Amino acid sequence: MAQLLSQTVWLIPVYALVGAILTALWFPGITRRTGPRPAGYLNALMSALALGHGLLAWPALWQRPALHLDFTWLQVAGLDLTLPVEISALSVGAIILICVINLLAQVYAIGYMEMDWGWGRLFSLLAFFEAGMCALVLCDSLFFSYIILEILTLATYLLIGFWFCQSLVVTGARDAFLTKRLGDLFLLMGVLALWPIAGTWDFTELAAWATSAAGREYALAHPTTLALVGLALIAGPMGKCAQFPFHLWLDEAMEGPIPSSVLRNSVVVAVGAWVLVKLEPVLALSPLAMQATVAIGAITALGGTLIALAQIDVKRTLSYPVSAYMGLVFVAVGTGQTQTALVLLLTHALAAALLMLTVGNFVWNNITQDVRAYGGLWARRPITGLCFLVGLAGLVALPPLGGFWALLDLIDGLWATRPWLVGLILVINGLAAFGQVRTFCLVFCGRPKPMTERSWELHWPFVLPTVVMAGFTLHLPLVLGYLGVLPTWAEVNTDLALLLVLSSMSGISLAALIYLSPAIPKPVAFPVPALQNLVAYDFYTPKLYRVTVVGLVDVISRLNNLVDQFLVDGAVNLVGLVTLWSGESLKYSSSGKFQLYILTMLLGLAGVALASFFLSH
Amino acid sequence: MLSVLIWGPILGAVLLACIPVRPAERTTRPLAMVIAGSLLVWSLWLLIGRFDLANGSGQFQESLAWISALGLNYSLGVDGLSLPLVVLNTLLTWVAIYSTPQSVLRPRLYHVLILLTSAGMTGALVAQNTLLFVLFYELELIPLYLLLAIWGGPRREYAAIKFLIYTALSGILILGAFLATTWLSGAPSFDLAVVSSYINRLAPATQLTLVVVLLLGFGIKAPLVPLHTWLPDAYGEASPPVAMMLGGVLAKLGTYGLVRFGLQLFPDAWTTLAPTLAIWGTVCVLFGALTAIAQKDIKRMVAYSSVGHMGYVLFACAVGTPLALTGAMGQMVAHGLILAILFHLVGVVELKVGTRELDVLNGLLNPLRGLPSISALLVLGGMASAGIPGMVGFVAEFLIFQGSYATFPLLTLLCVAGTGLTAVYFVILLNRTCFGKLDNATAYYPPVVWAEKAPALVLMGLILFLGLQPTWLVRWSEPTAIALGRPLTTATLPAPSSIATPS
Repeated sequence: MAQLLSQTVWLIPVYALVGAILTALWFPGITRRTGPRPAGYLNALMSALALGHGLLAWPALWQRPALHLDFTWLQVAGLDLTLPVEISALSVGAIILICVINLLAQVYAIGYMEMDWGWGRLFSLLAFFEAGMCALVLCDSLFFSYIILEILTLATYLLIGFWFCQSLVVTGARDAFLTKRLGDLFLLMGVLALWPIAGTWDFTELAAWATSAAGREYALAHPTTLALVGLALIAGPMGKCAQFPFHLWLDEAMEGPIPSSVLRNSVVVAVGAWVLVKLEPVLALSPLAMQATVAIGAITALGGTLIALAQIDVKRTLSYPVSAYMGLVFVAVGTGQTQTALVLLLTHALAAALLMLTVGNFVWNNITQDVRAYGGLWARRPITGLCFLVGLAGLVALPPLGGFWALLDLIDGLWATRPWLVGLILVINGLAAFGQVRTFCLVFCGRPKPMTERSWELHWPFVLPTVVMAGFTLHLPLVLGYLGVLPTWAEVNTDLALLLVLSSMSGISLAALIYLSPAIPKPVAFPVPALQNLVAYDFYTPKLYRVTVVGLVDVISRLNNLVDQFLVDGAVNLVGLVTLWSGESLKYSSSGKFQLYILTMLLGLAGVALASFFLSH
Repeated sequence: MLSVLIWGPILGAVLLACIPVRPAERTTRPLAMVIAGSLLVWSLWLLIGRFDLANGSGQFQESLAWISALGLNYSLGVDGLSLPLVVLNTLLTWVAIYSTPQSVLRPRLYHVLILLTSAGMTGALVAQNTLLFVLFYELELIPLYLLLAIWGGPRREYAAIKFLIYTALSGILILGAFLATTWLSGAPSFDLAVVSSYINRLAPATQLTLVVVLLLGFGIKAPLVPLHTWLPDAYGEASPPVAMMLGGVLAKLGTYGLVRFGLQLFPDAWTTLAPTLAIWGTVCVLFGALTAIAQKDIKRMVAYSSVGHMGYVLFACAVGTPLALTGAMGQMVAHGLILAILFHLVGVVELKVGTRELDVLNGLLNPLRGLPSISALLVLGGMASAGIPGMVGFVAEFLIFQGSYATFPLLTLLCVAGTGLTAVYFVILLNRTCFGKLDNATAYYPPVVWAEKAPALVLMGLILFLGLQPTWLVRWSEPTAIALGRPLTTATLPAPSSIATPS
């Protein structure tokens, strides 16, 4: 039975896709008859089915070699595009993670959407994301990964644009689409350029080629080409993972509904990193590409945690750390620690999903997302508060929870080669802890404010997924132990572990001190206002975009349009005008006098005669 | 068999013209639909039932001596290049007739002209004699001019005359080139097979000149920058069904001619010009996309998208590898479908909302008072045009890129950037029209009836099907593309043995 289920794992994306297609049919016409809710139930059911399939299939794959299936998509003129599917414990494990978070997000959405009519659209897109992500982790080909990422870019556009009546949503959807699309197109360029070099797009074969003698020889002979290809390949994941300078969309995406944010912050960004992990052998051929990966990751990690400190929108205080943690994943990949990267993705996914779920819990009935309007929720919302603490502890390095082991693994691998990066990660971890505790203190501690006077725990569709996710986060170390990725006590570098815990503790205690102490005036300001503005306005990235890329395209397109209207079309119209004008003026030469005509003919004849005379001599 | 597709619509048009005026108002539309429908079925039968996939050259050949003194013969035939376009033509003719409102002005004349246009188009596609081609090429122009000038928008006269002058000029250039080719090479007739066997008797410089003249002629029709300025006016002023025919099918004669009479007839001169043409194609891609970004009228925006997409075809033809050519042929069909659906949807929006101005339109995705299904289809159509995978536009463009990269890497990357710019203006279009807040004071739109959705649904079904199952897009063109394509220069490709051997 498990055998059969494991061979048919490719059905999992299909379940979700069927759900998405069926729900997409929930037009206003059908909604009027049935109400919007069946769309949600249907999709939650399909998600549960997918999850069940994945869970049952996993035991048959654990510690066994991966199954490979091939589906022919297109064979034309010497190009063979076959979709290779890799069914392994890793890919099915990733599917289980995706399905769990998706199922919880969908149950959550059943509560969240209570006052909205757009169930069909939201659930259809959620299911579409589930299908896309499951298909992405199953497919073993760069080309098909590109296809799926690109389709998900469109889905992102629609999902962020869910409440399309609000202007911020509209611009957010636009920016997300264009940023991701830009990354995707660089990825496509990399895909195209990789083919003549490696002759394959299958990740397995690419890895084999990159480690083979042929790959190394090529790398020695053409370092520039490989560096460019590597940079193009990184750009795709950079867009998906919201890395500098493609990070702005994730912030704007927070205008979308919370269930989609849960999904996006945890697994959607992670699939970009998944592709990066798969590409690591190719990137490793170019030292420059690897260094760029590390640099981008490190800059994003530091910048993201710093920006999060100055955000007043509670969803945004969560979105920037997502960029930051994906930056750490970039660092891990850039230094060749792919397993660490995957562990980091797993621990981050659970913690980030949990944090977003808890935030949704209090935003839903306190109406505001402004942290300055919150305070004193601890007594009123104990479950939510506890779950937030669990998410916080799971995210930053606090033993024994997941984030600690992932970060310890990361700095352990870096210590010997790049000690300065270890220092940076310690700072980032401290800042991340500071930022999350800041949010916690602002929301849950202090005195209640007008917006939080009346606040109660919500009904089960909110609380159940949150608590279940908290359970998962708490039990994650056990899962990691079962998977065999935890180090034994003898292997643990205790100095590094202590440093890590110290950095988390100092971040936490500093934040608690600043935000709980009555001696420090609230709202807390940075010592230098310019610095605060720099961070609060996201390093002025929107302005940067406006004066560079956006401005450039705008100016060029306007110029182009002017050229088109006045030069190209103007020339045509000028010819027309000249024709009309010459006709108009020539008509006055028809005087009706016979003599004039004779004279014209004679002059003409004389001209012809003279011309022929000169030509013949 | 091919004659049916030419004479069927002509006889149908005559039949329609003979109906007395009174019943004509009610009967012409269904009758025209039946005629167009049976032609569609016939062409589909040829495509699926009879066409030999293994054979890349002419099939279903018919030949009748007509005016042999002139060398003008009635010789027809199709291959993988023309047959998909023939089917596209019959399909879009049917869709155009179906999507024409019941209350169209002077229905008898309108449907007669549509059928004649369709006949001219098919004739040009299947003609195997260069003079016959020109004949049909010009034949299709007259009804189209009338369709534009009578049923167009407010500036229709300007647009129609501009279109007429441009296309007539293109016809003259093409005719001149064809006459010169036959007369200078001393070929005994204008039959394509005969002419192409005599082509090597022309000096290389003559060949080059002739190709340039043909490029200008077909470049006007396609259209290529800077010969395109008739296009935004003509597409913008044409009524949606006519725009669908004009942009979806008739403009394809330009790119079809480039392949058939440029690449196929003058292979050597074409190869000489290839680098220039590749640059020209890239310029078209970028110019079209950039100009579209600056448009304020959604119909003109869609029209400019056409300039960019035809640039890909020129680019691929310049590259000339089998894969790129397959992509180019796929792109002609893909673009025909996508442009048709976009013009239809934009037409519905204009009909219901009463404007095409980007700055006025807003919030049409609103489920209750907007046009939700039309907007949803517009989102999909725009994204298909922007080359999102899963839809047919991506397949064709990807094949072009993949087929071209080894030959012109930098230009290919610029073309990829062009798809990014395409995404920019479609996002602008969708954000302004579909997203945003609907103005409740003005949002009393007439309901969209089923007959207005159906054509878009059919086209979207095809776009999705061919995007997900691209084999059905390329299987007909592939043998022809391989036959026409330049053999790959092996130096630029990796030897098969060096490909990924697991260590």
